[in-house]
Amino acid sequence: MDPKGPVPVSLFFTCLADAFAPGVCFATVEVLERFGAQVRVPLSQTCCGQPAFNTGNRKEARAMARKFLRSFPEDGYIVTPSGSCASMVKHGYPVLFRDEPRTLALARAASERIYELSQFLVEVLGVTDPKSSFTGKVTYHDSCHLRRGLGVVDPPRTLLRAIPGVKLVEMEESDRCCGFGGVFSVKHPQVSCRMTEQKIERILATGASYVTAGDLGCLLSIGGMISRHGYPVKAVHLAEILAGAPWDAEEAF
Amino acid sequence: MEVRSRAFARYAQRALSDKALQAALNGATGRLSALRAAAIAAFPGYDAARERASAVKEDTLARLDEQLARFIEEASRRGAVVHVARDAAQAREIAVGIAKEEGISLAVKSKSMVAEEVDLNAALQEAGVEVVESDLGEYIVQLAGEPPSHIIVPAVHKTRGEISRLFETRLGEPPTDSIPRLVATARKRLREKFLSAGMGITGANFLVAETGSVVLLTNEGNGRMGTTLPRVHLAVTGIEKVLPRMSDLPVFLRLLPRSATGQPLTSYVSILTGTRREGDPEGPERLHILLVDGGRSAILEGKYREMLKCIRCGACLNACPVYQNVGGHAYGWVYPGPMGAVLTPLLTGLAESSPLPDASTLCGACAEVCPVKIPLPHFLLELRADVREQGLKTPGEIAGMKMLASVMKRAGLLEAAERILGALSQFLSRGNPISGLPYPFAGWTERRDFPAAAKRPFRKEWKIRRGVRE
Ligand code: SF4
Repeated sequence: MDPKGPVPVSLFFTCLADAFAPGVCFATVEVLERFGAQVRVPLSQTCCGQPAFNTGNRKEARAMARKFLRSFPEDGYIVTPSGSCASMVKHGYPVLFRDEPRTLALARAASERIYELSQFLVEVLGVTDPKSSFTGKVTYHDSCHLRRGLGVVDPPRTLLRAIPGVKLVEMEESDRCCGFGGVFSVKHPQVSCRMTEQKIERILATGASYVTAGDLGCLLSIGGMISRHGYPVKAVHLAEILAGAPWDAEEAF
Repeated sequence: MEVRSRAFARYAQRALSDKALQAALNGATGRLSALRAAAIAAFPGYDAARERASAVKEDTLARLDEQLARFIEEASRRGAVVHVARDAAQAREIAVGIAKEEGISLAVKSKSMVAEEVDLNAALQEAGVEVVESDLGEYIVQLAGEPPSHIIVPAVHKTRGEISRLFETRLGEPPTDSIPRLVATARKRLREKFLSAGMGITGANFLVAETGSVVLLTNEGNGRMGTTLPRVHLAVTGIEKVLPRMSDLPVFLRLLPRSATGQPLTSYVSILTGTRREGDPEGPERLHILLVDGGRSAILEGKYREMLKCIRCGACLNACPVYQNVGGHAYGWVYPGPMGAVLTPLLTGLAESSPLPDASTLCGACAEVCPVKIPLPHFLLELRADVREQGLKTPGEIAGMKMLASVMKRAGLLEAAERILGALSQFLSRGNPISGLPYPFAGWTERRDFPAAAKRPFRKEWKIRRGVRE
């Protein structure tokens, strides 16, 4: 860790977590502060523009992305509990502003400073033990954008394994898409549900009491199906496990 | 072939409720994916091979005109007649012309996606030429009167039982459960056709400019029989299949079968160079090579050029969780899965196929397995932007996005919207998950819940807890 003092980190809490899972945002702050980060929470932030970008509505996506770039300080790291939002800033912004040199420079700078939570903890802060007090049998779902977009495969596993009370059990094809896919789940709900069901079969086969992931989107779909059918497993965001107890049961999706 | 891609959603839904299809698809795509993964893991030079294959393709595309001219010259010098068709109609016209000129009444065909693309069979049949598919999978779908549903395994959507019933009704064969028996039946029927056909029609996996050769990869040997037994050989393929030198070929011979079926090598590799020469024991007397453009040179000029690197290995289909569940017919045209979701709009226009770029969660599994590194998810995103630009989006979606953007431009507005959302969902569900969302989100909650919005969003709660004044 930087011997010169606390690492400045701006929290990108994401619009989805803001509205549906504030606990995930608080958990993220807690974990970051635990490891000496000086967390700033820019209150003027809204959404990275992913919903517009992924549906091909580039003009609207650019408007939202500009707002994002204006909302964050130009120094320090940007950390978010979402693989897909981090991936949007990292890979989407340079595409969005490819014809606008001035904004492109800003976008590139942001794209170099953005990290998903587990990636930041392991790769930047060198955390090997999250010092969490979570207890239970946990299975980890690799969110597509976190794994393939950002290349984050080991960090969440390293952290989970280091928690004494956690038993990590791998599900089959943990990297197979859960079917959420943002607007895909609205445009093709049947196909989306089928994919989520297939994911849940694999989750249930592990006998885990918790399924976790680094992306709220996946957990909305997986958790939503668990809640509808009353499956004996809870969907919990990775940040909540890393933050540890007390874990508020009402935060379950 | 008629483009029916606009009905993707309807076809996909139908496919989901087809039990036999589900059983056939899920088993086969999973098996093929596993075979591929094992073959790649056991191939130490994979990354380098992939780099090289991708680079060879890029180079070739950068000077495709030159490579094609070279190919035409070399192939012609060795006795082939090379034809170039601008579009599907011209391709059909040329092929029918060849059949008439050569006096053909029966042709045996081995797999060619481009022939499907230009609807070759129908045109030839209309001109009085019987065309028999000789690839087992193609033979099955031809008997069933269906198009192929996979670019490598055309009948992947059929179960053993369905095939047995098909052979029973169409060929009068006794029903059987044994795959070898089914294969033997097809082989026996096809041998007769091979021996009496005047023309063999094939596709081409690669064309080699240096030597004017047509390269064919098959697992059943039908490509070999169809190109040596009949008097005339007609190879129908796309202009993008050319490779500069023979020495560029090996890397593809190693990558394609591994990516497609997990085989280290395809069973039969035919390198066909020119017509039969004096003293040759076999080979066609006449060789026609039909190169189809069909929109490819337009792709070459634009931002999707890399799509022409595709070697049709089918790995992206098997890896795609959407294809795995809906199968090839849902995509409504010749090319299914992720490669089809990109290629179909490029070849047929988005007006005919605008739902295809949305038929993906952008999970990236396709790009991960593509042996020539085509950025499929990136292309899908670009196509979605093209859909908007070409005015093909629904007004509702555009209005929704505009509203979203105007809310997201101001944190204050977002907070106000969240307050309403929170109050509404607390009121309706008392904090429990929501089991019924209104249109257009109703599909979401048919089989899964949606969380209620938080009583107090994070931003608000943070301000309170940290004493930030508004
Ligand atoms: S896009 Fe890539 S993976 Fe898909 S068929 Fe073409 S070469 Fe194979």
